[in-house]
Amino acid sequence: MHTLLTLGELLLFPGLAYLVTVALLLAWVDRKALAVLQGRVGPPIYQPLADLLKLLGKEDLDTEGSDARLAALLPMISLACALTAGLMTPVGNHAVISFEGDLMVTLFLLSVPTLGLFLAGWIVPSVYNMLGGNRSLLQYFCYEVPLLLGLAGPAALARTWRLAALMSAQSAYHWHVLAMPVGFAVATLGLIGKLERVPLDTPHAKAEIGAGPLTEYSGRKLALWRLTAWVQTLVGINLMVAVYLGGADVVWPYWGFGVYAVKVVGYMGGLALVQALYARLRVDQVAEMSWRLLVPLGLLQLAVTVWMGA
Amino acid sequence: MERVLRWARRRSPWVLHYNSGGCNGCDIELLDVLTPRWDVERLGIVKEAAPRHADILVCTGPITLKSREPLLRIYEQIPEPKWVVALGACACSGSLFGGSYHMLGGVDQLLPVARYVPGCPCRPEAIITALAELLETI
Ligand code: SF4
Repeated sequence: MHTLLTLGELLLFPGLAYLVTVALLLAWVDRKALAVLQGRVGPPIYQPLADLLKLLGKEDLDTEGSDARLAALLPMISLACALTAGLMTPVGNHAVISFEGDLMVTLFLLSVPTLGLFLAGWIVPSVYNMLGGNRSLLQYFCYEVPLLLGLAGPAALARTWRLAALMSAQSAYHWHVLAMPVGFAVATLGLIGKLERVPLDTPHAKAEIGAGPLTEYSGRKLALWRLTAWVQTLVGINLMVAVYLGGADVVWPYWGFGVYAVKVVGYMGGLALVQALYARLRVDQVAEMSWRLLVPLGLLQLAVTVWMGA
Repeated sequence: MERVLRWARRRSPWVLHYNSGGCNGCDIELLDVLTPRWDVERLGIVKEAAPRHADILVCTGPITLKSREPLLRIYEQIPEPKWVVALGACACSGSLFGGSYHMLGGVDQLLPVARYVPGCPCRPEAIITALAELLETI
């Protein structure tokens, strides 16, 4: 009975099926919110699903001179890592796997797709792919650190690296975003950089380098990469909601899920707002903003938190 | 399975735009279609940057001898199933450039064209109608 229950959790709720469905819905929320902000009507709710199915049904081309097996393997590994990370982040007030230090493991698992993207760009002998791959690696080096610093503040305050404990700590006093707005901003920008969203989307700047590391990928591989990006977005937002926005801080289970869902959608809307407001930064500005602005601010926040807490 | 796939294809056409030698008039009209006023994202239409991501190749302008090779290569890079739309009088027939010494003529001289959109430049409404009609036949 117990194994069956665990299996159900892994595959259905809040595991695989749930993660993929919600990731698709969230991708729609993103596009719709952007469209509304721009005064457009926007795509219908099934749009991401249609995109995914269509890509799955398209011809899958291999590029001459690249390693076909590796090219097929990379998106699978990336998707697997993103989904595993999804198992650790709390959905409502329940995560499938929860242990001391799961925040770090989630972050690590979330960084695997970025490395996969870099490799996917690197193995194809095309300028666009290579440039895109390089830029995505650069972004990886720049924005992983602010994200970690931003998330370390609340962890230092609550003296735990466990997501569930971080959430319950917030229902005991107040949301971390109120105590550490700077850390929240740093972590949000780190997340935007990690997800390669506008204004930090240099790795796939359309007007400069085509579709970046994915320029030469089509069909099933492209579908998996897209899905990976959507799941990554969901997991990243889950993480932020749990660490900074109090997660599901209501006692009853159903209410908790509703509160959590509202927060996730709201945060996604916020990211869409940033996307609508700002244009893409140049590559050097991307690196500069991270190391000159975000990292010092994040360190400062962390130092103040540790000092106040001691 | 077939039906699911057809449903998905109809609702998610990604467009690649190539100017094979036009005057830029039709290109601006094509970009118009993405703006709030016409907003083709309603129909799931997105403009893609890479040929390998595209479903529909939208070609503007007559084919010059120079752009013949790139156009062919782009077309061959698009994964099956794929369609070509000729945008503007030039792409339909060569228009006033037809018969010129460095011109091949309309897009149908080189590629199988699924839909023609006349006009110089073509109107956004006509573009949307053509794309919607094309989606109907998928
Ligand atoms: S049809 Fe007219 S507007 Fe379009 S490319 Fe030709 S000349 Fe330019």
